Amino acid sequence: MAPPFRVADLTGIQVRPARLWTHSLSWILFVMGIALYVHFSIVRHRENPEDRVIPSATQLVQGLKASVLEPAEEDDPLDPGASLFQQVRHSMIWKDTASSARRFFIALLLLVPAMLIGLHMAVFPYAGAFFLRFVLFFDKIVALSLLPILFIVFGIDEWSKIMLMVIGVAPTLMLDAYNIAGGVPREQVVKAFTLKSTNLDVAYRIVLKQVLPQLINSVRLNLKPLALFLFAGEMIASTDGLAYRIAIMRRHMGMDIIIPYLLWVALLLFSLDALLRFTNRRLHPWYQPR
Amino acid sequence: MPWFASDWNLRISQRTNSAPCRPCLPSHCAVWAIAFLTACLAGWSALPAEAAPPTFTVGWSVYAGWNPYFYMAKSGILKRWADKYGVVIKVQRFDYAASLDAFVGKNIDACTMTNMEALDMPAAAGVDSTVVIVGDYSNGNDQVLARNNLTLAQLPGKPILLVQKTVSEYLLERAMVLNGLDGQLSKLKLLNTSDSDIVGAYLGDKSNQVAVTWKPLVSEILGQDHGVKSLFDSSRIPEEILDLLVVRTDVLKRPDGSGLKFAKAIAGAWYETVAQLAAANAQAIRESAAASGDSVASYKEQLRTTYLYSTPQAAAQFADSGDLKQKMDLVRQFCFRHGLLGQNVQSVDDVAILYPDGAIQGRKDRVRLRVDATYMQLAAQGKL
Repeated sequence: MAPPFRVADLTGIQVRPARLWTHSLSWILFVMGIALYVHFSIVRHRENPEDRVIPSATQLVQGLKASVLEPAEEDDPLDPGASLFQQVRHSMIWKDTASSARRFFIALLLLVPAMLIGLHMAVFPYAGAFFLRFVLFFDKIVALSLLPILFIVFGIDEWSKIMLMVIGVAPTLMLDAYNIAGGVPREQVVKAFTLKSTNLDVAYRIVLKQVLPQLINSVRLNLKPLALFLFAGEMIASTDGLAYRIAIMRRHMGMDIIIPYLLWVALLLFSLDALLRFTNRRLHPWYQPR
Repeated sequence: MPWFASDWNLRISQRTNSAPCRPCLPSHCAVWAIAFLTACLAGWSALPAEAAPPTFTVGWSVYAGWNPYFYMAKSGILKRWADKYGVVIKVQRFDYAASLDAFVGKNIDACTMTNMEALDMPAAAGVDSTVVIVGDYSNGNDQVLARNNLTLAQLPGKPILLVQKTVSEYLLERAMVLNGLDGQLSKLKLLNTSDSDIVGAYLGDKSNQVAVTWKPLVSEILGQDHGVKSLFDSSRIPEEILDLLVVRTDVLKRPDGSGLKFAKAIAGAWYETVAQLAAANAQAIRESAAASGDSVASYKEQLRTTYLYSTPQAAAQFADSGDLKQKMDLVRQFCFRHGLLGQNVQSVDDVAILYPDGAIQGRKDRVRLRVDATYMQLAAQGKL
């Protein structure tokens, strides 16, 4: 039986909050955020019933309906008899999510070799000598400023956006992989060699195997920069995508669409992060950070 | 510890959640600004009248027809007129989109914008707005550019670089319609491209054949690639892309009358400034060019394709004419067709426009944009 709660516990380090406490405390900021939003929305709507800056619940629901059930403006309207599935399948948000997700995952896939290069940099001294200085330098390049060059090299379509993401995030991931892999104790490597490991055995079966959970965590942390670069690319030039829609809606203060979109993006990123975390835990039950 | 609350996981989700706040930040500021202003006003009313004259902020952005606001403030013309009417007028430069956000968020009292944005930003967002100065119209500033001697009829299917939902798209649509290509409109493949990157994207990749943009970007493209031709420009649709000074109606109608004084002061200052530009006053042109970092030659070139209403007579006459109604109707129909008036606006008449002669375009109970020729007329009669 846990001891009863005392006010002094709030500032204590050696305390173990009851489940009810951790749950309710963790929602307070959410509730406050929503309350603030509602408050400002009501204030603004009292002054101007058509306010579009902080949409009211009805406006948000309408915006949500429009984005989930209606096709994008540039597409042909659906015939009225379409089923709910058809409606969602041809909706604006579905189309945008599909095209953004495609870019996102292609970029994510291209980041895998980047991490392997980082691993090689740490394990093979000649690879380290070859890559390290350049990657350190390239990491400090602000990728966004390279965009005009990317347009020229990769065209204005998909590849310039994908490459923006890759170039923006890859050096960080490489360096992180390099640092993580470099942290594997030298003794293990030596021991493996005494047990007749080959070079590749050491790289992939000793080092990679035990840094993999950390690498996955590194990818998790980089999801946000990845999304940021995706958004930047889509806002600058595109015909579809989540950020494209947000950029278009901004032109006429379509916050009723933008806010559902932002929440949707947050949910997607959160789910992807949770998925990676879950996979990590299943694959590497022995890895217990904290 | 609950499953979602491991320390760094919370950190990530908080970062993700911080994104939605960004677009609404100005409005939070707006609320605070309103609170602050109210507090200030309450403070003022307690003080003697001469203590603090009412202050107004005008937002402007870089454009040939708006750069003179910079010169107007810098040269002291504005201060002289503001002093005459006992108000303080501040002039602040913004990016165009940001100036509109600030105006809709009620952070500034007046703002320069095109007739299209006046309709689809403040008016459609329920911020009742009044046009006090019709400054100029684009008379070739906006152009449809193409490589390889393409014609308008060949545009469908080719990617077209432009900033969507702006006057660029309007211009493109008008070009198609005026050339009898209405049926092809839905086949146009628009590629939304930020104005900051459109020049590089268009010039860097020859497979991008068509772009719609405005000066000085147009001049940059035409200057660097002689294979690019202008297919259509805004001089073919005169008086349709108007550049205005818009004041919030509630500011204009302040009970203490300071809003009227503000409008009179800025109209007076504007026509004095424009008269100098029309007379090719070297300093006026130099300072206006400097406002956007343009060379004098480049700015003069932009002015050639900008029809400035250099006298209040001309501006007032146009504002009073039936032409304005006809042009505005084209613009509002465009806005409605493209959903720029909002998701829940069912009819184009829901964002109504009131003209100087009392005529209303749209529903009488939903007037959101007013064209007020009073100040242009007062200037014309020399009564300011």
